[in-house]
Amino acid sequence: MEHQKTSKQLLGELLDKHYADALHAKAEGKPVAWSTSIAPQELLETMGIHAVYPENHAAAIGARKHAQEFINHSEGKGYSVDICSYARVNLAYMDIQQCEAANIPLPDLIFCCNNICNTVIKWYENIAKELNVPMILFDPPFNHEYEISDQNVKYIKAQILHAITRLEEITGQKFDYDRFREVMKISSETSRWWKKASLLACAKPSPLNGFELFNYMAIIVCMRGTKEGLELFKLWHDELQEKKEKGVGPWKDGEEKYRVMWDGIACWPYLGDTYKVLKKYGINMVTSTYPDSWYIVYDENDLDGMARAYSSNYVNRNLAFGTDNIIGIVKDFQLDGIIYHSNRSCKLMDFRQFEVQRKVEASTGVSSVIFDGDQTDPRAFSLAQFETRIQALVEMMEAKKRMGGAFYE
Amino acid sequence: MYLGVDIGSSSSKAVLINRAGMVCGEGIVNIGTGSKGPQISVEQALRQAGIQRCDVRKCVVTGYGRLMYEGADRQITEISCHAKGVKFLWPTASTIIDIGGQDAKVIRVSINGIVENFVMNEKCAAGTGRFLEVMARVLDCRIEDLSGLAARGNPGVVISNTCTVFAESEVISQLAAGMSIEDVALGAHKSIAQRIAGLCNRIGIADAVVMTGGVALNHNVVTAIEKEIHHPIIRLEDPQAMGALGAAIFAREMEAGNS
Amino acid sequence: MSKAMSLISELAYAGQRPKDSILKAMNETGKKSVGCFPIYTPEELIYAAEMLPVGMWGGQTVGTLADRYLQGFCCSIMKANTEQALLGQYDFLSAVIVTAYCDTLKCMIENWKIASPQLNLIPMVYPQNRKIPAGKEYLRDEFLRVKKELERISGKKITDQEIQKSVDLYDEYRRTMQEFSDLVKDYPDMLKAKTRHLILKASYFMDKRIYTEKVRELILELSKLPRENAFGRKKIILSGLIAEPDGILDIMTENGMVVVADDLAHGARQFRTIAPDTGDGLNRMVERVAMQDGCAFLYDEKKTRAAMLIQMKEKYQADAVIVCQMKFCDPEEFDYPIIKKELEGAGIPSLYIEIEQQMDSLEQLRTRIQSFSEMLA
Repeated sequence: MEHQKTSKQLLGELLDKHYADALHAKAEGKPVAWSTSIAPQELLETMGIHAVYPENHAAAIGARKHAQEFINHSEGKGYSVDICSYARVNLAYMDIQQCEAANIPLPDLIFCCNNICNTVIKWYENIAKELNVPMILFDPPFNHEYEISDQNVKYIKAQILHAITRLEEITGQKFDYDRFREVMKISSETSRWWKKASLLACAKPSPLNGFELFNYMAIIVCMRGTKEGLELFKLWHDELQEKKEKGVGPWKDGEEKYRVMWDGIACWPYLGDTYKVLKKYGINMVTSTYPDSWYIVYDENDLDGMARAYSSNYVNRNLAFGTDNIIGIVKDFQLDGIIYHSNRSCKLMDFRQFEVQRKVEASTGVSSVIFDGDQTDPRAFSLAQFETRIQALVEMMEAKKRMGGAFYE
Repeated sequence: MYLGVDIGSSSSKAVLINRAGMVCGEGIVNIGTGSKGPQISVEQALRQAGIQRCDVRKCVVTGYGRLMYEGADRQITEISCHAKGVKFLWPTASTIIDIGGQDAKVIRVSINGIVENFVMNEKCAAGTGRFLEVMARVLDCRIEDLSGLAARGNPGVVISNTCTVFAESEVISQLAAGMSIEDVALGAHKSIAQRIAGLCNRIGIADAVVMTGGVALNHNVVTAIEKEIHHPIIRLEDPQAMGALGAAIFAREMEAGNS
Repeated sequence: MSKAMSLISELAYAGQRPKDSILKAMNETGKKSVGCFPIYTPEELIYAAEMLPVGMWGGQTVGTLADRYLQGFCCSIMKANTEQALLGQYDFLSAVIVTAYCDTLKCMIENWKIASPQLNLIPMVYPQNRKIPAGKEYLRDEFLRVKKELERISGKKITDQEIQKSVDLYDEYRRTMQEFSDLVKDYPDMLKAKTRHLILKASYFMDKRIYTEKVRELILELSKLPRENAFGRKKIILSGLIAEPDGILDIMTENGMVVVADDLAHGARQFRTIAPDTGDGLNRMVERVAMQDGCAFLYDEKKTRAAMLIQMKEKYQADAVIVCQMKFCDPEEFDYPIIKKELEGAGIPSLYIEIEQQMDSLEQLRTRIQSFSEMLA
């Protein structure tokens, strides 16, 4: 009987395949796109254009502790130390084109969606300029109102149609609407299973060690529109479901004492270090802002729904929505605490954090802490400072537990 | 006896208390983690109390170097320890400002002594004791002289930069432009005070406000902070020792079993 | 004093004292005022609503109130605006328009709703895909939405004809400013770098019609005077967000520099593009935004800003470009490496200075500007 692979094995294989396929496509003269992480990849998948994701690639370089050499290169070109470190890593990779993490081919097309920040417009403009390749921009307007307005949906939908025309011009091929329909269906389905799996962490103890979200995230970004991606998340879900039914917690060698959420992006160069500090105190990061970010769900062939979905991620929403979202997470996951990452790279996340923290604390009484770090610049983080703040969080959570816990239902 | 040790980045403090909570011995040394400082401060405290190390029933360590210290029964963050120490001496305290060598923090404490929330400076050292060390070096004076110098200074020098490295060059150019050492020292204090006031605005401030940490010995800084936050600050006799005192109280509670 | 000099000092004075100038303008015209955040806002609509659009580009306020909302690595202009709002210094405004050109501005919209609810915040998003029909349609919809908000605040309907008239006025203002800016090279003593800056700055605090008339008059008076001797001066083009603190401009003057043109968001980017004469007022506004390029805040697939600077260098026979980089301004920070590379390629000397709006000591910058000037000699 063939030995069934675990989702973790499959994850590794798929990721290797993702990078290998891109290099292979390039070698065969097929077009490759560089895309932002929450962009309508459905269009590229439909056209058979292989996409790679500079954010993920920069994160991988960071996690392998190689970011510094790339950052030095970019800063040497005149990039400020204050801009996004993913951009600094990627803009250097564009020149160096060699790293130990995984290599990606240079793009023939830039595919940029600023629902995650306006910084990506600037970053991708520079790639397009330096490599002299066309750029397609999706511009879902920032939703300063609580809901996504019809006016915004209309504009985004028109941009999707415009992008299809441009893709046809660039590739000289017709857009296959039947294939598109199929990809839309798979993409939504993959998103559903991603969310469904991550929600299993609501169980107490959580079968999920939330740092795994940071690993699995690579596939929800890179292979959301593929059957392999979908199968992976189904498998992952089933594994977690089984653990949940058996009442198994996140670790073999430790008990889940506190349940927290991580707000913001991981500190990739210190992924292992931050994980170990939390685990040492029995803190399981049961969830983060990642599950909802790739919950991009709509009905097949519903372009309005698709437009709306690509504008719905929380960083593109207003503060009231962001606050309600976290309050909901505190309740659903029965959190004891929140760890907010004040990430030097991400002003859009940072500059609302203080107010969100106050509002969430006022509404739920949950303990929280803000620490300073960066997604990929190793210089902007201090492990000793991080540990002190986490330990102080533990002391606050412990005191609250003794007093009867946070006051959510 | 119960021992509390607070190992900071630039100083080490030890406090011994007895079962009744009375301070029996204290040691403060101006060298911090990674040195013999912690050991010397403990020895000082033991000598003052007239006891041996084996007479210590429980020991709690806190501060930047707490994770490296062997021989403690427990380690607790300086946030909880400062709150503990201050509440013991000043039960009505609601806000604690602690400026240490590496960190500046504002801690909000509930009536029953629980840490409700705290905020700390951003990763760079502006607004911390380290900043004052750099200032003292640039102004070519001892760090303990800064308070007296600033007291004689005239307001007007602004050191606005957010980072210690930049502030250093800013101070040098202020001196080059003919500003007096006294005026620049006052400007540096105001710069720290503003950073602290910013932290206070984030967390909200309520009386009584108590200040701890070595920088609290600099009366001019305390006055500058009072001006910025528009609240009076309780000046403790021994602000440096609050972390160690809190740790010692935790040690005592450990044995009482109510920790 | 010559007529020209008295106009210059009147305008520079207005530029130097934002709040006094605005209150004076409100008093003289009987109009309400509406605050306009950087970078661009539909000022034409505010003016058509018979209110005064006034600029909100930071200030010299440093404090600690904004720390409640913002980390230390937020740009100094946004920190100063927030500090001033929390101090109640903007309470005389009837509304404030904040746009979402960058990530920091998006957060401004959200924090200000909570921090200063009394200010009648009108958030607005300019489309980045501003050249395609969908983007134009979206911008028109945004203008209509903001128009409705302005009508609510002013209590008065804005007619199409009023918008047309307002766009005409703004075109006249923009042409006038282009003409004025081109005159500077001929009058480097009367229009020193800081004076030029303050005159441009005054446009943010005066009634646009009155301001334009004054500048028109100044141009006329200047044309009566002989050109000043500019021999030996270094002709400089400024690029970046804003040339403040304006002490840096004095340092430039002291080092024999004259600002012959600028590519500052706070300066010429406001007036270098004129609305085309097609369709109704709103359409002209939409098309103008679509036409404007070379700005860090407007998506530009071809990234033409550096090429534009090189053209400007030719047009004004400039000696060098000085990039005034506002620290923590991401969009400008991203443009710089490309500008640097292309200027180097074209053999144009450039100097990069990193500034915060409320720097008190400019000594380090003095050294840099002075040595750059020595290098150009």
